Order: sequence, then structure tokens, then C-alpha cells
Amino acid sequence: MSRELSYAEAIREAMDIALGEDERVILMGEDIGVYGGAFQVTGDLIDKYGPDRVMDTPISELGGAGVAVGAAMTGLRPIFEFQFSDFATLAMEQIVNQAAKVRYMLGGAVSIPLVMRFPAGSGTGAAAQHSQSIEAWLAHVPGLKVVQPATPHDAKGLLLAALDDPDPVMIFEHKLLYKMKGAVPEGRYTVPIGTAELRREGSDVTIVATSIMVHKALEAAKALAEDGIDCEVIDLRTIRPIDRETVLASVRKTSRLICVYEAVKTLGIGAEISAMVAESDAFDYLDAPIVRLGGAECPIPYNPDLEKAAVPQVPDIIAATRDLVEGRR
Amino acid sequence: MTTANDPWAIRNLSPDQLREALRKMYLIRKFEEGAEDSYTRGLIHGTMHLSIGQEASAVGACIGLSDDDKITSTHRGHGHCVAKGADLGRMFAEFFGKETGYCRGRGGSMHIADVEKGNLGANGIVGGGLPISVGAALSAKRLKTGAVTVCFFGDGANNEGAFHEALNMASVWKLPVVFFCENNGYGMSTSTARSTAVKRISDRAVAYAMPGVTVDGNDFSAVAEAMAQATERARAGDGPTLIESLTYRWRGHSKSDRNRYRTKEEIADWMARDPIRRMADMLIAHDILTDEDITAMEQDADRTIADAIAFAADSPAPDVADLTRDVYTRPLV
Amino acid sequence: MPVVVIMPKVDMDMSHGTVSAWHVAAGGAVTKGDPLFDIETDKAAMEVESPGTGTLHHIIANIGDTVAIGEPIAWIYAEGEAVGDAPQGPAKAAEAPAPADKDEPPTPAPTPDQISDSAQNGETGLRATPLARRLARERQLNLSDLRGTGPRGRIQAQDVPKKAATPAHPTSKGHTTGQTPILLIHGFASDPASWARLERELGQRHIIRMELPAHGRLTGDVPDSFADLARRMRDAFDDLGQENVHLVGHSLGAAAALAIADVRPRQIASLTLISPAGLGPEINGAAITGVAGAPRVESLGPWLRTLAHDPDLITDAYVRAIMAQRQNPAVRQAQLALADAVFPDGVQAFDLRAALDRVDMPTRIIWGRNDRIIPWKHALSAPGRVSLNLFERTGHMPHIEKPAEIAFLLRQRGE
Repeated sequence: MSRELSYAEAIREAMDIALGEDERVILMGEDIGVYGGAFQVTGDLIDKYGPDRVMDTPISELGGAGVAVGAAMTGLRPIFEFQFSDFATLAMEQIVNQAAKVRYMLGGAVSIPLVMRFPAGSGTGAAAQHSQSIEAWLAHVPGLKVVQPATPHDAKGLLLAALDDPDPVMIFEHKLLYKMKGAVPEGRYTVPIGTAELRREGSDVTIVATSIMVHKALEAAKALAEDGIDCEVIDLRTIRPIDRETVLASVRKTSRLICVYEAVKTLGIGAEISAMVAESDAFDYLDAPIVRLGGAECPIPYNPDLEKAAVPQVPDIIAATRDLVEGRR
Repeated sequence: MTTANDPWAIRNLSPDQLREALRKMYLIRKFEEGAEDSYTRGLIHGTMHLSIGQEASAVGACIGLSDDDKITSTHRGHGHCVAKGADLGRMFAEFFGKETGYCRGRGGSMHIADVEKGNLGANGIVGGGLPISVGAALSAKRLKTGAVTVCFFGDGANNEGAFHEALNMASVWKLPVVFFCENNGYGMSTSTARSTAVKRISDRAVAYAMPGVTVDGNDFSAVAEAMAQATERARAGDGPTLIESLTYRWRGHSKSDRNRYRTKEEIADWMARDPIRRMADMLIAHDILTDEDITAMEQDADRTIADAIAFAADSPAPDVADLTRDVYTRPLV
Repeated sequence: MPVVVIMPKVDMDMSHGTVSAWHVAAGGAVTKGDPLFDIETDKAAMEVESPGTGTLHHIIANIGDTVAIGEPIAWIYAEGEAVGDAPQGPAKAAEAPAPADKDEPPTPAPTPDQISDSAQNGETGLRATPLARRLARERQLNLSDLRGTGPRGRIQAQDVPKKAATPAHPTSKGHTTGQTPILLIHGFASDPASWARLERELGQRHIIRMELPAHGRLTGDVPDSFADLARRMRDAFDDLGQENVHLVGHSLGAAAALAIADVRPRQIASLTLISPAGLGPEINGAAITGVAGAPRVESLGPWLRTLAHDPDLITDAYVRAIMAQRQNPAVRQAQLALADAVFPDGVQAFDLRAALDRVDMPTRIIWGRNDRIIPWKHALSAPGRVSLNLFERTGHMPHIEKPAEIAFLLRQRGE
């Protein structure tokens, strides 16, 4: 019987391990010290490691991110927490122009071993400026790696993998997952960046999902199985670099593809997956049009019904899958 | 024998240090002229931002630094790079986009770095290096290296939000960093009078509870003196200093500048205050160099530049097959 | 009016809170702003201040109780205010905002874009999926010879014949050479031979029999659920490459037929469900395991006789014939395992009523009023457009008990 932790606890445990084994690791972020972080992810780590290693920054996202970049360039291994992923818009300069590019524009003379954590996603009633999913913005930038763990196991394993990585890794954590419990092995282990996970094997249709949508897709798959529709569900886990082979192999097997993600549908990860399939030999295995289910073309609204309507929900996945498999598309 | 009336540099630096400082100022001047000439000949791609006229500022700021000390630089960064000890051949090679350049031809003029000498790189984003320098200082403090970081930035960057955030954090955390503002009077075409609410950029230090000083940036001695105090304070753990170095770029903002925003008289006035001539005169006045020595030093600099350009011109170009190398430390498969 | 103490929302994504301590006991004096009680959320413990001054009464949330946010947990009475029963209503009226973890409301929500119907706009190109194109290439078939069954006539993989390059469909109508075949699926613990009487009544017809998994030759790998069984039957159906069939199933085979019809509606001309499983929870579990597990004719016979209304119809010879096919213990084990998967503890573990609502080909249910295996009244859950043919004095096996009548029904629609 394996031990269960919440997603937030799993992240905290990963940071605890990293702080404990490597003096160069520091945590930086707004209110991550005695407050424990806005979502209590850092929790009481400050008690164990002190304020020099669990550093509260001023409300200075651009400056804070830049300090993390400079520190990473000169020997530290910062883990920088944005209080909400939305606030990373204030720090885009440092993330996009500096963290992502310095290594390349210096011809490989330095590495930026920087980990940034982004509490993301809707569902908390926090409306347009505290609920976005901007992972695809960053995934568009060569030099960054972008991961979206969907389970406590992966949250810990990907964070430790990110710390082992010599380049900047952006971790998008869905806020609604923080309380989700799951089996988490003790001690150090890593989940390789760039590997997707087959969460459910199936033969009728491939559903590629990210983050919280993995759970919605699995719930939909369970319901569809009652009707004899057999869904294969892939948890993408990393959106840069994408695990091409896992997706393509699945499409070759099922001949049908649905992409489900919370971020705004247009120009998102679904477009990338669809294009990747269309450009590959898996194209010749498609027996139906590709379907994307993504967020609505609007900011995340406040009203709970509107908020739910703005991102794909289980019934949407069921309906789209049924239409696709039963030949109505 | 020196007296209390002698400039600070004469009293505090050795003749060798002073001669080396002047030599570097010549190298910067000649480097910029060589770069401009190469540009005119079509050997350089893109644009460049020349620092002719600002040599005392760059050399004065770096004279007291070791290779362990870091600098972050700006788009007008050739002088900082030379002052920190870079190899001129590799600098020219970078300008020429060659594989032997500091950035293997990937960065060009605006991103030259020399990490081994502590130069963390020029930056194409105004104010981009400000928070990074604070991060480097944070590393120095946590890892107890004793190093100081000097953050070069221009008057334009003092109006960026990053300036406020970086100076505030450096002060809150008492980090070993010196914010060195090269105020050459213009952010591209917009003068500081039109862009900056305070008369002196150093006045802004008050807001961050750090010392703020303004020096004549064309006076090597004044720059070196202010830097000596600031680095001493930083190494003692007392936190950052803001230095405003008043200087002037003789050339336009970049090669596409038509100089419509300043007068010929203004430019001539500043050229009359040539920092190199002033430094040379000071060394002659204190019997550290003779006119002949200076002529020889200039000729020596010319030869060095010619060699450097020849090295760059003869160097191999990057292989296009390596286009995406160094995006990641470990190549993605 | 007493002041209501509610479970406050202190955290952005909090839906409930647990009372971890009361700082004042019922009957105690409280002052507005003083600590009143502690709550625990999933993240943290938090002290809550008193919303009023007076005396605390009617504590309805005790230590350890978890309460939805906005719900009352106690009341504070001002000095001199009469204390009656715990008030109801006012606090309830202030409903907590829908927490994030509740069931999804019906949402209009981002469904994929509708594909614009360009076929009507004079578009001439042939529609085929990439997979269908590749299969046609590999099988050296001309796509223009194939008929697409997908949306707007799109040719899909299933439209590409597996074997020889024969024209998929005669183009002329009114010809009877391409008589639509009847596809038969037997029931649990039965076999394709059980259709023999009905087939005799049907006469010269193109008949195809399908076998359920864990039956006859297919005992190797037992389905672990009805969904698994349905998927395999659908795959087997696809392998047949039939474009249009009258589909007839019995009992569990009827359930399989319905599941196939639900996903392959274009290939099913009509659907006939004889004593179907899947339309309600009840089933005679003892008979199911009795038939499946009986190791010899003596124990099999009595169970088999429960299948028919007239036990004499199940002769000793018939029982021996059935037992002969069940001699292999592996067959019986496989069927017991299947029964455990689809009919655990004498309950039908799957429900196809929604599928029956969806299918839109002509559909009928045939049932015996004396069925002792599955109650015929399950048929009453069918939608009105499904016809129901009930037979008196008939048990679970109408196709054996009343083959002529069943054949008559099948012929009615030209089947």
C-alpha cells in the first residue's frame, strides 16, 4: 500500500528534498515564508530552512524573476513561485528575453538552471486576472521547458527533474489539483521531462489532455466505456518538448484524435498536437477529423456557471467523443 | 611623491595600473573606430552602439574589479567588455558573426559576454540586466564568494520598472552590487531633461535608502574613486550604491541615427572634454608617461586592433547545421 | 433578531470548513470581535471572530463537524432577547456560492466547431479519411468505387472492403440479388446452434451467426466487463465487413446487438431484441450460474428447463447435446467468469436503456410473458417507437419456443 499525499504536499516534499540535499537551492516568491504561500505549497519550509533560503520577495514579479535568472546564472538553483500564473505577465521580459535566451545568445557560455512554478487555471471564482492558463505562451519560446503535472506523483517527480535540468523549466500547477490526493513514493525520484503518460488504454479514440483535463478525460472515458466506446487517454505532462512518439503511436492505433486543454482553444496546445499529427505519418491513420476542446474565446468569468462554461467539462468531452466515434463529424 | 591635492587616482593607484587604464581607454576608442570602419566596409551585419567618448566611465568603473567580480552590461557595452579584460580578437569575431566569437556568432554586438572574466553579458533590453545583477549579487552573498557585481545601465533604463524593483530588492537584502548609471544625456533621442523627473538620477537612491553619487564620467579618477567607495561598501556587507556617471556619446545612438536631436555645438563641446586626452594629460602632468610613450601606446593599440580584425576576418563562420545548438544545455531529441 | 454565526469562506477555493474548537460554550457571553471558534480548511487552521455581542446559543456545529460555507452554525442573542428554538431560514437564504467541486451544471460550453457543410456548395471532390485513402491504396481499390457511410458521404476505413476488389454496392435498385443478411447473436451459455429452429422457419436466407466471447471456440480471454464484451463484438462485427444487416440477438446477445447498433447505426437495417439483457437490474442469478457451472446432464437439465415455459420442450436429448458442448471445464470456467463480470451477484451490471433511446433504426423487442430469467416488464422502459411483441405461455427462449411466429415477425419488414 503506497502512501498518499496531496498534490501540494507532494510539491512541498520535492522542495524539501531539494533544499535538504543541495545548499544552492533557494525558494523565492511572494509570501512563501511564514505565510506558507498563497496556496500553502511552501507551507512551513521556512521553519526548517530559514528566511535566507525560503525568501519572501517584495511584490516585484519582474525584478524577482530577474533576480532568479541572475542567481541561476551564477551558481544558485532558485525555485521561483509566482503567486498566480497570471502575474507572470509582469515578468515576461525576464522569462522570455533573459531566462530563455541568454544561453543561446551567449553561444552556450552559461546555463540557467531555473525552476519557476505557476499556480494556474480556473475554477476558484477568482475571475479573469487570477485564473488564466498561459502555459502555451511560454511553450512557444525556445529555451524554456514547460510541464503540467496532473497528479501528486508527477508534481513531485517533475519538480525534482526540473531541478536536475540545467535549463529553465516552467511548471504549471492547476490550483484545483492542489488538494487532490494520490500515491507518492517516499524519497527522491524523477519523472522525465518530455515524456507523456498513457493513463488509460483504449482502441476507439485517443484523447490527449493536459493538467486537470486529464482527470476530466478519464471520467469521460469511464462513462463512455459503459456505451462500449473505448478511449485511450494520454496525459501529455510536458508541453515543451512534446512527447511526439507517444501521441503518434496512439493515433496510429485508434485513428481518431481529440485534444482537451483548459487554455483558450485557438492557437493552443491542441493546434500544436493536431498539426504534429497532420504533419506525421500518423496522418495516414486518421479515420475522422481531429477535434479540439479548449477554453472559450473569452477571459475567465466570475459567475460559477459561466466559469464552468468557459472551459471543457466532462459532458463536453463525452459528447464530442461520442460524435466523433459514432461518425457524426 | 603625491600630495593631497593630486587626483584620487594618482594617490591611490600604481603607475602600472594607471598606464594600463589609459591603454584600455585607447583600446576601447580604437576598437569602436575599428568596428565603425568595418561596418562601413560591410563586414558587420546589423547595427552597433558605439561608446566613443565614454571610455573613462567604463575603465574607471572596472579598474578595481577582479575576474571573480561580475558585471552586467548594456547594448552600448563594448567598453565594459574591454575594460573587464576581454580578448579583442574574439570580440571582433563576434561582430563578424564568426564561430570564434564570444557568442559563436549567435549574439553579435548587443550580447557580447565574457563569462570567464566575469562579464555576464550585454543586454538588448533596456534595464534587462538590472534584476540579473541583483541575482548575481544574491549568489555572491549566499555562496560567500566575496564578489561584487557592477550593474551598468544607461539613463534610459532609470525609467524602467525593473530599475525600481532591482534597486529596492538589492537594498532590502543588502546585496553586494553597485548600480552604475552611465548618463550620456539621451535615451536614443529623448534627453534626460524630457524623460526623467529628477534632476540627478542619483537623487533616486534616497528612495532605496542607499548612497547616491554623481560624478564627472569623463574624469577617470572621479569615476574610480566613487567606485572604490561603492565596492568597499558592498564587500563590507553594507549594501548597494547608485553611481551616476555623467558622460557623452560622440556618435549617434546607433548607426541609423541622424543626430537631429542635438546640436553640433553640443557635440563639439563634449568632444573638447575628451576623457582620453584628460587622462593622458593627467599622467603626463604627474610624470607617469611622456608624449612619446603615449604615441607608442596609441600605435600599439592600432596594431592590436588590426590583429584582432585580421583574426576575426580569417575565422570560420558557424555551420548552419548547428543553428539550434545551445538553445538547451542538453539537446532535445 | 439573533445574530447568525455562519461558516465563513476564508479561502479562495474553500467549499466547506470544519469546526476545530469553540472558544465560548453555549450560554457563554461573547463580544463582537473576540475569538469565537476555530475552523480548519484543507490548508490551514483559522480563528474566527464573533460577529456580535451577547450570549451564544444553539451551537449546531460541534467540534469536528464539517459545514458548507455560508451555513449557520450558532446564534448570538442580545441581552434581554428571548431565546427560543434554533431559528431556521435566514442563514439558509444566503446560499453559499457553488463550490468548485460540485457536479457540473449543464453547460452550453465549448463544443468543437461545427464543420461547415460545404458539400452543398457545389464541391465536387471525393471525401475520404486519410486512413481510408491509405487502405484503398494498399488494397488496390478505386475510391470512387466505394460508398462512404461517414458524414456527407465521407469514405471511412470501414467502407473499404477487406479482401477482394469487388464493387461495394450494386448501383441499380429494385434488384434482389443483394438480399440483406440476417445476423444472429446467441445468448449467455448458449451457442450459434440455438438458432437452428428459427433458421429453418426463415427458409432460404443469407444468415450470419456470431459467437459471444467465452463461448464455443472463443473461450480464451474472458471479457472483464460488458463494455469489454461489447467492444469485442463490435470489432468482430467490423471484421465481417457487412454494410447492411438485420441484427437479431437473444438475451446477452441482444444486449451485444444493441451495443453494436448504437455505434454502427448505418450498417443496421433493423434491430430485433429477443428477451434482451441490459434493460433493468433484475436477472435470475441462480439460473445463470446453474447453467454455466453445471458439470453434467443431471445438474444441467433442471436449470435448462427453467429457460422455457414448457419444460417438455427441453428434452433429455437436447440437454445431452448442450452438455456435450460444455464438457470442457475451461468453457464452464470462462462462462462463470463472464457471468461474474456482467451479472455479478445476480444483478445486471450494465444498463443499455440510454442506448435503446438513441438507436433510430426500426427496432422491436420480443419477449415471453413467462420468462423466468429476465422479467419481461423490462421491455416497458423502451421508448414508444420500439415495437413490443409479447408471447403468452412463452419463457426466455421465444426463438426456440415460438420459431414460426418469430420468423413471421422477421419477414414482416421484408427481413
